[in-house]
Formats: sequence, C-alpha cells, structure tokens
Amino acid sequence: MTNDGANDLTRRGFLKFVGASLALAGLDGCTRMPAEKILPYVIEPPELTPGVPVHYATSMVLDGYATGLIVKAREGRPIKIEGNPGHPASLGATDAIHQASLLQLYDGDRATSLRSGRQRSSWAQLSAAFTPSSLRSRVGARGAGLYVVLEPTSSPLVISLLNRLRTLYPDMRVYYYAPLAGPNEATVARYDLAPADVILCVDADVLGTMPMHLHHARAFADRRRDPRHGMNRLYAIEPSLTVTGMSADERMRCRPSAVEPILAHLLSTLGGDRASGPAAAPPLPADVPTAWLAALASDLRAHAGRSVVIAGPHQTPVARALAASLNDVLGNAGHTAWHSASPLAEAGASGHSIADLADALRSGGVRALVCGGVNVAYAAPASLGLSSLLTRSPERLYLGMYEDETAERATWFVPQSHYLESWGDARAYDGTLSIVQPLVQPLYDSKSLVELLAMLGGQAAADPRMLLRQSWQEAGLAPTDEAWTSAVRTGFVAGSGFAPVATAPRSPIGPVTTAATSASPDSSTTATAPDRFEVVFAPDYRVHDGRFANIGWLQELPDPITKLTWGNAALVSPATAKLLGVSDGDGLALRHDSASLTIPALIVPGLADGTATIHFGYGRRGHEHAAIAAAGADAYTLWPAVGVPFMSNVSIERDESASRALATTHDHWSMEGRDQARIQTAAAYVASSSTQRPPRAPLPTLFQPEHPNGTSPHQWAMTIDLGTCIGCSACVVACQAENNIPVVGYEDVLKSREMHWLRIDRYATGPEENPAVVTQPMLCQHCEMAPCEYVCPVGATEHSSDGLNEMIYNRCVGTRFCSNNCPYKVRRFNWFDYNAELTEVERLVKNPDVTVRERGVMEKCTFCVQRIREAEIAAADAGTALHGGDVRTACQQACPTNAIVFGSLTEPETTMMQRRAEPRAYTVLEELGTRPRVTYLARIRNANPELDHA
Amino acid sequence: MSATVEPDTGVSAGAGWPLLTGQHDDASLTDHLLSPIWQTRPGWWWLFGLSCAGTLLFIGTITYTIARGIGVWGNNIPVAWAYAIVNFVWWVGIGHAGTFISAFLLLLNQRWRGSVNRIAEAMTIFALVNASLFPLLHLGRAWFFYWLIPYPATMGVWPNFKSSLPWDVAAVSTYFTVSLLFWYLGLVPDLASARDRAATLFRRRVYGLFALGWRGAGYQWARYRAAYTLLAALATPLVISVHSVVSLDFAIAQLPGWHSTIFPPYFVVGAIYSGLAMVIVLLLPMRRVFRLGDVITNAHLDAIAKLMLTMGLMLAYSYVIELFMAWYSGNQFERFTYLVDRPTGPYAVLYWVMTVLNVVTPQLFWVTRFRTSGPILFIASLGILAGMWIERFIIIVTSLNRDFLTSSWHFYAPSWVDWSILAGSVSLFAFLFLLFIRFVPSVAISEVKELSLGLGEGQVDLAPIGSVEAEHA
Repeated sequence: MTNDGANDLTRRGFLKFVGASLALAGLDGCTRMPAEKILPYVIEPPELTPGVPVHYATSMVLDGYATGLIVKAREGRPIKIEGNPGHPASLGATDAIHQASLLQLYDGDRATSLRSGRQRSSWAQLSAAFTPSSLRSRVGARGAGLYVVLEPTSSPLVISLLNRLRTLYPDMRVYYYAPLAGPNEATVARYDLAPADVILCVDADVLGTMPMHLHHARAFADRRRDPRHGMNRLYAIEPSLTVTGMSADERMRCRPSAVEPILAHLLSTLGGDRASGPAAAPPLPADVPTAWLAALASDLRAHAGRSVVIAGPHQTPVARALAASLNDVLGNAGHTAWHSASPLAEAGASGHSIADLADALRSGGVRALVCGGVNVAYAAPASLGLSSLLTRSPERLYLGMYEDETAERATWFVPQSHYLESWGDARAYDGTLSIVQPLVQPLYDSKSLVELLAMLGGQAAADPRMLLRQSWQEAGLAPTDEAWTSAVRTGFVAGSGFAPVATAPRSPIGPVTTAATSASPDSSTTATAPDRFEVVFAPDYRVHDGRFANIGWLQELPDPITKLTWGNAALVSPATAKLLGVSDGDGLALRHDSASLTIPALIVPGLADGTATIHFGYGRRGHEHAAIAAAGADAYTLWPAVGVPFMSNVSIERDESASRALATTHDHWSMEGRDQARIQTAAAYVASSSTQRPPRAPLPTLFQPEHPNGTSPHQWAMTIDLGTCIGCSACVVACQAENNIPVVGYEDVLKSREMHWLRIDRYATGPEENPAVVTQPMLCQHCEMAPCEYVCPVGATEHSSDGLNEMIYNRCVGTRFCSNNCPYKVRRFNWFDYNAELTEVERLVKNPDVTVRERGVMEKCTFCVQRIREAEIAAADAGTALHGGDVRTACQQACPTNAIVFGSLTEPETTMMQRRAEPRAYTVLEELGTRPRVTYLARIRNANPELDHA
Repeated sequence: MSATVEPDTGVSAGAGWPLLTGQHDDASLTDHLLSPIWQTRPGWWWLFGLSCAGTLLFIGTITYTIARGIGVWGNNIPVAWAYAIVNFVWWVGIGHAGTFISAFLLLLNQRWRGSVNRIAEAMTIFALVNASLFPLLHLGRAWFFYWLIPYPATMGVWPNFKSSLPWDVAAVSTYFTVSLLFWYLGLVPDLASARDRAATLFRRRVYGLFALGWRGAGYQWARYRAAYTLLAALATPLVISVHSVVSLDFAIAQLPGWHSTIFPPYFVVGAIYSGLAMVIVLLLPMRRVFRLGDVITNAHLDAIAKLMLTMGLMLAYSYVIELFMAWYSGNQFERFTYLVDRPTGPYAVLYWVMTVLNVVTPQLFWVTRFRTSGPILFIASLGILAGMWIERFIIIVTSLNRDFLTSSWHFYAPSWVDWSILAGSVSLFAFLFLLFIRFVPSVAISEVKELSLGLGEGQVDLAPIGSVEAEHA
C-alpha cells in the first residue's frame, strides 16, 4: 500500500480513527430519549399539514347576537381569533372579548365532569333521568312544571328545538335572560353612521358596547380619515365616561336622571310640537348648560336628514322613544336610523322576563328548572332573590362552563361546551344568519345547549351537526348542499339581514320623569343630605356581565377609560370625590333602601357630579380562580331591576372597610404640558395645514445621515391614527393572544409589572370636569437610533436589516438597562416565570410561532415578526415579491377603526405611507433623536365652533 | 532598617494633636498592636453573632431571589433598577476611601495615614465584595453573568462594548484586584511579626504561609518599598476611574436625571465622602474596644473630618450645578426631574433628608471641637452614610419613576426582600470586618513603628492636614 498525496491516511491513522469513532459512537447512548410517548400522524388528515395553520369561520354569540369570526388553528388547536371580514357585525375586526374568548376554551377552571348532586355522573345517566316519559311524571303530562331559562337566542336551531320541546311539553315555560341584553321588543333600532354628519349619542356607547359596535366604529372612523373633508361630528351626552364619550368631539356630562328632560328639551327645540312629542316637557335641571344644547340643536337642524340621534339600548323606553322622535323630526328616519325585526326568539312577547321566573319559583309551581348557560344565581338583581329561590324547584339542571354560583345550587350539572367546540347558529343584530362551527372536539365531557335541548326532546344521541343541517334544511335556510357548504365555509349567509320595517305608529311618549334634585357639590341646600347621589350601572368592557370573569386576559386588560384591572370600583368625578373626602382606593358604602354595596372609589375626570358609576361582573362567588382573585364588588346587589340603567336617591358615605389598593396601569391623566399625544381642533388644523408649512427639518445628528439599516427591500413601519383610535383595547388582547404574553395577576399589576407589549395610553386635556380625552396605542417604536440597543451589555437587543428592533431572548441576561433607557417604557420584564404554573391544557393556547419567554428576560413588541417572516417565506415559495402592505400585525387586524396600519417605508403607495405624509403626522419624543418607525397622526377634534371652549 | 522619613511639610502647622501617644518601643508597639489577634474582647462575640445572623439572612434572601426571580423585589417597569443598584453604587463608593487613604495619601506623603490605612483598605475590600455581589444578583438570569465578560465564546459573541456595563465589570474587577494586592502587600511585614510572635505551631504555620518568607532583610524592605509605591501609583488613578465608570452606567443613558456630564467627578467625590464616613464609623468603636487611642488619635479624626468637610462642600457644589444645569438647559424633561419631581414629587421627603444629611451635616466640621468629638463624628458619619445611600436612591429611582411619558409613571416601593438584602449586606460587611480584626493585624505595625522611629521617640507632634487641603481645595 502506497501513501500517495491523494490519500495520506496511514494505516495506523485509519485504525486510530476507527477506534475513536467506535468509542464516541458508544457515547451516543448517553443521549436520553424523552420518556413521553410521542404520537406522529400515522394517517395525516388531508387538510392538515403540520406547521401550516388552517382557518375556519365561526361566530361568537353574546346576548343573542352573533359576530362572525375567523379562527386560526394549528395542529387542531385554535390559537387566534380574528374578525370575519364579510360579516356585517365584524367587518374583519374584533373586540377585546372576542379575542379573549379563546383563552376561555383552555381555561383550567372549566368544569370537566357532569354531576348529579355531588356525585359524578354521565350523559347517559342524565338522559335516562330526563327521558320524556320520566320527566313527564315529574313535571306533569303537559310539562306545566318544566321551566327553561336561556339566554336571549336568535338561533334558528335552538328555536326549532324549543318548538319540538313544546310539542312534548305544551305548558312548558321558557324565559330568555341575559342581564345586559337590550330591551325585549319586536323590533330593534338600527343606525347607519356612514352618511351622518352629526351624531348625537345620548348615553349610548355606540362604539363600545352596543350591538354592532364594530360596524359602527368602522363607519364612524371612515368619516374621520381626512379632517379637511367631510368629517363627522360626534356629540355625546352621558353621565359616565365611555369609549364613545372619549371619542366625542363635543361631550356633555349629565346626571342619568337628566337624560329624559334633555331629550324632551331637544325635541321641543327642534320643533317637536308634533303628536309624537311628550305631553309636557319638564324643566331642565339647573346644571345642564342650555347654551350647549342650543348649539347642538342648531347643528342638528343644520344637518337634518344627515344626522342621527342614538339613545342607548339600556335607556328607559321614554328616552328611546324621544330619540326616535328626534330622528323623525330631523328627517333621519329611514336614512341613518330605522328599525328592523328583532332576530331574537319571542322578541316583544311578555311574560318571559326573569322577574316572572322569580314569581313562578316563589309560588312553587316549578318542578324542574333547566338553566341553559345563564348564571342566574349571580347575574340577576339580588332583590329578586333568585340565588335562594332556585332551590324551590326540586330539580335544577344547569348547563354551565364553570362551577359557578348557579352550579352550586344545581341538582344536575352539565359542563357546557365552549363555542369553539360546538355546532350552532345565530343571527347577528341585523339578522344576518351566522354559523357557529367547532374547531376542536370538546376538551372535556361537555355538552352544548343544542345537545341539551335535543336530549330533553328525546334525542340524546343526536349529532348536533346533523341537527343543524336538518334545521336549516327544514327552515329553507340552506336548501341545497352548495348553499350549506358555502354558509359553513364563509361562516354566514350573505344578504340574510333583515330589511327595515315601517315604523309602527308610535304610541304617545309617556310622561318624562323630572330629573332628581341637583346635587352639585356647591349646592348648599343638599350638602347635608347624603342620599342624593345617583348610581349608573354599566356593562363592563372586559367581563361584560360577569360571564368572562375567569379570563385572565380580560381581567388584566386595563379598562379603556379607568385603566383599572382585576376588579371594579365606584367611579366618581373629582368634585364628587372631594365632596365625599375620598381619593383613589378609599372605600365607599352605597345604600338605597335595604340594598347596600361597599366598593372602593376611583376618580375619573369628566363624570357627572353627584353620580357614581359601577360596572357589572365582579364580586363573583363561584369556584373560578381568576374571577375570585379579581377584587371587586357585585353591582347586582344594588341593581333594582333588570334593564334599569341608573338608580336615584342613593346615599354614599365613606367606609374604610372597603378600601383597597386599585391595580391601575396608568393613573396619571395629565400630559404635564408635554405633547406625546397631540390633539387639535379641526378648525385650527385646517387653518394650519392650508398655509404651506415648511417640512420638518431632520434633527441634527452626529451619526451618519444615511439610514443605517437600509439593506433590506422592506423597511417595516407603522402609522397610528389617534383621530380614529377609540381606545377600545381590542388590539391589546389581540397582541396578548398572538404573542404569548402572560397574565401576571393583581399583585403584580399593583407593582406595575403587567406584560402587555401594546398598551393604550389615555390622556385628558382641558378642564377636569369635562376634559377632551385622547387615547394612544403605545408599543415599541422600533427606533432607528434605539436607545435600548447600545446599553445592552450582551447585545441581546439588536437592529435587523429590515428595521426591526429585535430581542434575542436566549442572549438576554436581564440587566434591564434597556428598559431604563427606553423613553417610551414599552419593554416588559419577566419578573417571575409566569408560565410555570400553566397546566397542559392551558399551554395549548400558546402560539407555536412565538417563543414563550422564560424568567429573567426582557421582551417587547416585535412588530409581529413571525407574521412578517411567514409572509416572506410564503412569497419566496410562491416566487413572488412580498408586498409589504400584505403583512398585517395582530393589533392592526383586530382594530375596528383601521387606526393602525403597517407596511414598508419602501412602498410609497400604501395607506401607511400616505398617512405619514399628512401634516398631522408626528413621532413621539422626536426631539430625543430616536427616529421611531411608528408615526402617529394627531387627533383632530371636530369641535363645534359655537362651543369652542378651548 | 527603614528609609529616612522626610520632614513633613505640615509638621509645624497649627497646634495639632500628636499622631502617637504613650511611651512605646518597637517591641511594645508590636505586642500592643498584635494583641487583638491573640485574644478576643467580650463585645466581639456579640457583634460576631449578630453579623452571622445577618449574613445568614443575606444568604437566605439571595437564595430566595435566585429561586423565585427578581420579582420578589419591589422593582417594576419603569423602575427596573432600584435597591440592588443603589446598594452597588453605595458599596463601591464606600470602597473608595480605603485606597484613597492608602495610596493617594502615601503618594502625597501624608504620614498620618499609617495607623488607619489598614482598616481603610480592609473596608475597601469588604465593601467591594458586597458591591460586586449586587450587579450579579440583580440580573434576571444571574447564572449567565459571565456573558458580560469578554471571553472567547464558541459562538463568537462578545459583550457589547458600547454599553457601560462591561466597562463596569472591568473597572470594578480591576479595582478589586489592585486593592486586594495592595492590601496584602502591605500586610506582609505584619504577618511576619504575627508569625514570629504566635504562640502555637499551627498559628505560626498559617501566618508563616501568608508572610511569604518575610525576614525583614534590607533587600526585602527595598523591594517591598518599591513594589508598594508602584502599586500605590497604580491604585491611585483607579480610585478616580472606578467610580467615574460606575457613574457612566447612568450618564450614558438618555434619561433625565442620569444623562449628565458632571456625573464622573460628582460620583468620585460622593464616593470618597461616604468612604471616609465609613472609616470613621469603623475607627471609633475599634479605638475604644482595642484601646488603640495611642495610635489613632485626635489628629487622625481631625484629618478625616476635614477631608469629609472638603468632600461635602464639593458634593454640595455638584448638587447646585446639577440644578443650575437643569434649569439652564431649558429642556422640559430635565427641568421637571430636577426642579419639580425631586423636590416636590413622591420622594420629596427623601430628597430633603438627603440634602440635610449630605450638605448640612458636614458643616459641623468647621468647628474643631466637633471634628474630634467621638459621638458627634460617629453620628454625623452615620448620617452621611445614610445620606449617600439616599442620594443614590434619589438618582436612580426618582429619575426612573417619572420619565418622559406620563402614562408610564409609577411609584416604586421596596419589598421585605429588598430591605433584608440591604441589612444582610451590611451584616456581611460587619462579619468580614470582625473576622479581619480578629485574625489579621488591623493596624500597620511596621508603618507605625517607622513613624515612631522617624519622628523621634515618644511624643510626635504633627499636624498633618494643611497639605491635603492644599491639594483638594
């Protein structure tokens, strides 16, 4: 054997290598394989490629009305909820509750097993106990003792199942109840904000909580894109401060009892001497500024036919009738305001209110009570006494998601399936037929309402999907297979909304209630009487009526107005707080007759003096951890009756025992003369932008003038329009869901450790009695000259070639210097291992495309880098050029008003770039020279010149 | 045997106090100064027990912090740095006086340093032990602390040299190394004395090991002198540099209240100031417990008090300049931090307490009687130590808790762990110091003997301060 140059491995050398290889191969055995069994897809579902998400259309139903959604699933588990762009109640957007409902699917506190009494039971045993024959023996042959409580429902399937039940039990009674559902009327009030130049919202949260609020928010915002042309003007008259009130151009605060007199006054001013007007308008309360109302009236008159007056669905019938008359008088009816048939079952029928149920229970006629998903023991006025009355029924079957207050009193408890686990249908507020399609098999031994009703109807084993298909077939909703498939695929039936109905001849408006005695703090006559306060009851932006109280994302979502998390408080104006001698967190005792409530106070500017606002949904007493951890007071204990928006003659006194530290994330309303969130009146803006302003000169810099990262074809950037940001906070939860942001809990929020990558800053300018409020989404600004980057000792935060400020989690040692040097304070630190205590099921919600951060590392907004890279890869696979405008961040996608737009600086034709060219564009803290990639557009307030108090 | 002592320039200035009192020859001086290491005083055990308990608390709370996360502290966003960094800066500052007294004053030929320099140097070492713990402890992932050190990692990643934190690592570790060497080198002759007088074989062996074969030979003294002076020359710029670098942790940031060019000299002055106060706090009880009144005299107290007054005045000047510059800058954020938030904000009480402790307290030292009064010096020094701790708290926390965007403003309050760690670090310091005076000659015997020899037998009349003041005025 020769050793030529080509092969200089000697025999000895070869043997050495062989020996070494053998020895090292033995070391392979040192790698321990994981002990768990891992199961590959032996037979891969054809529609599923591991790693590639699939999207399905479904709908979420709240208080009877559906909102169309598109849900993203990875390997069979839903991980993100988006709006369904074609669905009229969504238009592609979502609100915070839709976003967070995903977490409820994986909630570790969900009830997992069916039980009878305290004993674990099964669906088979339950169906055996409730076969029509056996049930008839207990509730009477005609079912006179059978009482069913459901949420208001618009579901054709549920209606058909109820009809079937009625054939078995003709005397069965059905009650429809959700505490915050609108009025029980055969028609619903509909509005179109798009053509309205002037919008008057009288205690109507049209952008925040009213049905179709996403639709309205889009229409409202679309008229505010260009402040120079055709901008609408929003007036709000309200006792509390709402999302709509924060967005209003002109806002007047009033006591809730003044709403009717104000509307009556407006109606008479605008020529409401028609028969529709009230017999006699009571005098306006002294503290209502008549000049303001006069200016409003003249603005409305000037825009007759192109205006709209909206009274909240929770307002008194008189107030809503007055608002409808105003629309008639102004000629808006049929254009911007009309009525259509209510999509709800038995809408307008009497005798199925929750009070009737209480009467029936009290009289002892109830033999079996079936409660389908309504937590009546909690979410009802305490004065009805339902929590104790429930036990008057010998049999209580409760279908619920949690072991809550009602479950505690149930003789049979059936875990309820999440809507992402159920088949069903519903109609949107406008009547659009929507499909509820499951994305996943029930995680637990749970059943949907459809299955429960089918079981009661003797179809215990029915497949809910087949029931739905049949019901649509029978009702002619989807006559063909194509129609059915199309409905399931798109999630709704286009064009199935209800047409306007001719306004029924309106009965004369009842007497207008005189406003309660004024309680302005300076009024000496009343200063000694403690019971002169009015309490406003409001739906909560986060937990709604309390049903979402166990969703950590919502509990930790700062309230859009107060920025309060983990609980509620009695919101009072600064003057009222002074009168009561309280500051934030001091306890209050509210009393009215025998009802009382202790709750801490929270001062909110812009509230009507002499009122306190309380949100529903807190003070839960069930077994859900987060719901109980949220410190709060139960507004239902004070609520006099369902549908009552406010209560007068309440006494409020200090009560130290109710004092509590309030976990607010942003407690400073003032900008301290700084200009981070700019707001300007439309007149001033038009005046300034019409005169040619010199372009802003770049700041002097010692750095190279060229952009340092210009090597990539895309340079990512974002533009946020403060003029259309309504502060609804859907983006905050969307970001949390997309980016695996942990929930830290009440204690850590108190210490200012919330982890939101995106927060909504909220500032008030002007007088604290009635300030102008501006909301500002604040996230990593992706500064080109990022102050965080140069101070990191280990280079864990760096700039990418496409202009992203990136966090390298596994390099971060956690010095937190970057956060100290960030002028926007958008960086978040993992003070603890916030993911350590998640159960296997709770972990399923995590987005597999985003790292779950460990303890001790810094994190922050990435501009949804995973979405950028996904789009880049898809474009590369397809061999096409990526259009930067096609990448949408999670916050942008959720935004109902399109206030957030994202894209590349290299594509000047995009909306994002066009908005940056507006004169009102600016960057926050520009003088620091950080060169942020996020540009804001100043909010333009379309003030009424007659009222310009600035 | 020893080098000639030059006549001190300040010898005749004023009617000062002697640097040495009592009748001592070399043997009795050695016996007297070595006595603390042969026998304990009754108070020692009590103090030692207390410091042990405190050190256990320190270890316990550190363990708890590392097990659970930094969240057990009160830190938040925006106040991401708080007690740990306050403690770090405070301890580094205290660590300044030792080398200042030893090296600076050696080079300036201040003979009075001889009887206090060992204590001051030991204080430096122990303060730095504490100081170096905090930056590690305050990391979110403390187990990766070595990523701040430039080492040839396999991934080819280096620390980011633009950040001041790797500078900090370099500055503090250099300072610690040099201080330790300097201290140990000075100890060698005295360790030999201890070896020679130790009663048991074990002690002789241990002291002998550390005495490195010192025999007191002339050539040894010559090399020792040269090495000692060289190290002093090396250590002196470090005194200035280390706290300057520490101050850059703040000054390179763009946060109002941190972003300030006055920080390096301002921090150095404050550091020496607090270090001198700590020297007083240690000297006075030692002098009483170990009856060192004959080698640590009013002359020393007077000299240190005068230095403290000087530093206090320089610090007050820095405070005024900071306020002036904030106003003069016209920058609304600077003005808010210095002129509104600190004097009237949520931590205003601390701000005014700091001003009184750091600016008003040293004014006592204009009065000769107060400069030599043990109780007044002791209480004033404790006040200055507290004041300097609060100063760092003010700089760090009040700058962070209300910065640019009012939406991110949030109050900071320490947790029980923060307090325990602070108390624990003081305990660890006391623990190490008590061990030091029990096992190591705590007064530089050879230097005292030299002083005694050079300036004549018995009473030495020396007022040492004049030249120091001339250097620092």
